[in-house]
Amino acid sequence: MANQEICEKIKGMLVENLRIPADELEYDSELFGDDIGLDSIDSIEIIAGIDGLFGVQMTGAARENFKSIETLAKFVEEHQGE
Amino acid sequence: MSNMDRRVVVTGLGLVCALGENTDECWSAAVNGVSGIREVKSVNTDGCYANVGAEVAMESSALSGEDYDRSSLLCIKAAGEALADSGYAVTGENSDRIGVIVGNCVGGAASIDKYFTDELKNGGGKSSDILKMPAAAIANNVAKHFGLNGMTANIVNACAAGTISLSYATDLIRAGKADAFVAGGSDSFSSLAFAGFHALHALDENGCSPFNRSGGITLGEGAGVLIIESYEHAKARGAKIYCEVLGSGVSSDAHHITAPDPEGKGQMLAIGRAVANSGLSASDIDYINAHGTGTAKNDEAEFLSLHTLFDENDHLSVSSTKSMTGHCLGAAGSIEAVLTVKAVCENTVPPTIGYTEENLETLKEKAGAIDFVPNTKREKTINYAASNSFAFGGNNASIVFAKEPREIPDRTNKDRIFITGIGGFVSKGHVDISSDDYKAYGIKMAFYRKLDRFSQLQLLSGMQALADAKITVGEDNEKDIGIVVGTADGPMTEIVGFQKNVIENGTASGSAFSFPNTVYNAAGGYFSIFAGIKGYNVTNANSIQAGLQSLCYAADVIRNGDENIMVASGTDENTDVTEFLYGKLGLLEGKLGEGSVSLILENENSANARGAKIYAELAGWATAHKSVEFGTVKGSESALKTAIEDACKAAGVTLADIDGVFGFANGIPEVDELESKVYGELFNGKADIVQVRDDLGEARAAAAAGQAAAGARYISKGWRNMECVLAAGFGVGGSYSAVVLKRVPGAFAEDDRTTSLLDLLKGE
Repeated sequence: MANQEICEKIKGMLVENLRIPADELEYDSELFGDDIGLDSIDSIEIIAGIDGLFGVQMTGAARENFKSIETLAKFVEEHQGE
Repeated sequence: MSNMDRRVVVTGLGLVCALGENTDECWSAAVNGVSGIREVKSVNTDGCYANVGAEVAMESSALSGEDYDRSSLLCIKAAGEALADSGYAVTGENSDRIGVIVGNCVGGAASIDKYFTDELKNGGGKSSDILKMPAAAIANNVAKHFGLNGMTANIVNACAAGTISLSYATDLIRAGKADAFVAGGSDSFSSLAFAGFHALHALDENGCSPFNRSGGITLGEGAGVLIIESYEHAKARGAKIYCEVLGSGVSSDAHHITAPDPEGKGQMLAIGRAVANSGLSASDIDYINAHGTGTAKNDEAEFLSLHTLFDENDHLSVSSTKSMTGHCLGAAGSIEAVLTVKAVCENTVPPTIGYTEENLETLKEKAGAIDFVPNTKREKTINYAASNSFAFGGNNASIVFAKEPREIPDRTNKDRIFITGIGGFVSKGHVDISSDDYKAYGIKMAFYRKLDRFSQLQLLSGMQALADAKITVGEDNEKDIGIVVGTADGPMTEIVGFQKNVIENGTASGSAFSFPNTVYNAAGGYFSIFAGIKGYNVTNANSIQAGLQSLCYAADVIRNGDENIMVASGTDENTDVTEFLYGKLGLLEGKLGEGSVSLILENENSANARGAKIYAELAGWATAHKSVEFGTVKGSESALKTAIEDACKAAGVTLADIDGVFGFANGIPEVDELESKVYGELFNGKADIVQVRDDLGEARAAAAAGQAAAGARYISKGWRNMECVLAAGFGVGGSYSAVVLKRVPGAFAEDDRTTSLLDLLKGE
């Protein structure tokens, strides 16, 4: 289980920056699936958001790290302070 | 009128861009392959991966003396050159026969940047900067500077705007609505556009290289203006004629909000229409000034479109002058039109620059039979030349110029035009939108979460109107349907939000998510994408009356034979941003509203063929202008009279036939007094005056379209036995539109309606 605090921050960023309704966004929701339907422009925004929140660079990070809030949080945990 | 009487010609040229301060300087640089791309000066590019642009060297104060936004000043500079070049003497007698149509993308972005920089960092913005923010100011400022009193429009279809403006001007002259237009496009350099394209990683750090490395765009700025004039008028005054304007084509990709359709179908529809409307075939075209932005996606799609349409043509030259001017967004189409006209006159094709020896080898494989004029100009006879522009929102436009006169097909459709659907919602304060509103039309969250407020309103009202008219968009009709969106303030909330973030966090931190929505035509773009509408698509920012001017524009498109069905909308949002800005101007406190109202206009043949129910006939329409400062209406009442009288004349009715007038009073004394004075003079108390804004609030363009919707709705129900009503709208700067609606007896079946008047006027 990824760090709750990080998950919450990422969720807040996604709701704020990508206008995803908060009540339809769970930590394990598939971000690039049919329902939420993020695309390449949104991934640019996520990279900028993660950088802004945690100072973690995700440019060039593997696709699977963008799967959900949980996988994003896990990536942040692993790369924070690098 | 014979076909040859419909001749429209170019009689004046004006140009200012990174290549020079006038047409001659710019042309000389362009044919000699001189680039205007340099290190950016007007925007702080700290932290950005790219820092080149194609800026105009002149200071704003050297462009023109007024305290206007730079986009207006650039346009005045180019318009001054074009008018002088044309020798057109504007007098009190003829000033109402020459209007101004300007294409634009970022509006007063530089002023928005300045105002909020002052707000956030310097202790408060100047309220005079607020009037410089909307794109709607530009054409009005140009008209005011030169004392032009013909109609105005601000075509805000991003990177296609500068071509659509020329197309519209030409169509209006052919329809007999003006002798001439100062037509073109203008955009200033801005942190908004730079930060936006930077966020999308769409800037080429080395300077753009269209049809070559295709690593991204380089932004530019400037203005291109053409005097587009009826041949008869030009001949009568002994004017110098550069060339003929033949046909044009406008279309929608209905594919993606920023990326072009990789199959190029929408591009090919626009180019194909332009060629066919000119009475030509693809093998006749000698030169195309391509859109050629230098992004991989544009260049690939345009390569494909050009090869598909022109591979049988063995003498076609194509070049992208953006390789030298940069991408000037709303000005691009007009700057390129000026260069295309020069190419026709001088029998010289300006090159696409930037190819190395190695690049030339690669180009050979990609170019096939098409000559992409690499690095050096090509001298050849050019009888027919086209200019292409494609934009965010999937908007495409192409226009054809010719050396010699030529009979072009007269596609005028003289059918009656009916209102066959009404949709939308408008309210004082704020309209309530929930996820159920989207679900009603099967709009998924993945789509609607992308939309800013302005786009949300437009999408829902457009879908509601289509449903009300029982129109299903599919392969059989998708190209016969078009869209006109009218707005006063456009997506100002998204623009300001984007801009404030850039001011606070730097140009490198622009939002890629938000940027696509900062263009005024995004709302019409999203609507076309969701609805699948592939015909004409335009957004006109022209103050409050734009919601009625959209009906006039849409009716003109149908009359011109371009589409059978048009969705004509008026849309404006009300948020903390609009309340803040109007509040700073001391206007409309507690009275602002928001919403979107869409009316389906349809020619009689189409309406009858599908058994459409009819609210009313749109029997007459007119737009007029009397130049006063943007921000006021004082002194412009003659234009309201003209709009009303012209609309009645077009409808074949007299003022005495008007039973009711749906008016525009909004509680601002200057506006209300002007309106009641003119109605008193024209109608003498004999028409019922109905005011809708007590209920709707000043929802600006939405309320203006709402006036027509209410009028159509009322007469369809036989309210007070009205047979013929009029709706009139005002715009600051002195623009007015009026429409005359006639009852169509027996055409309406109440029970079939999904929209009731109450729905339309639904409260908070």
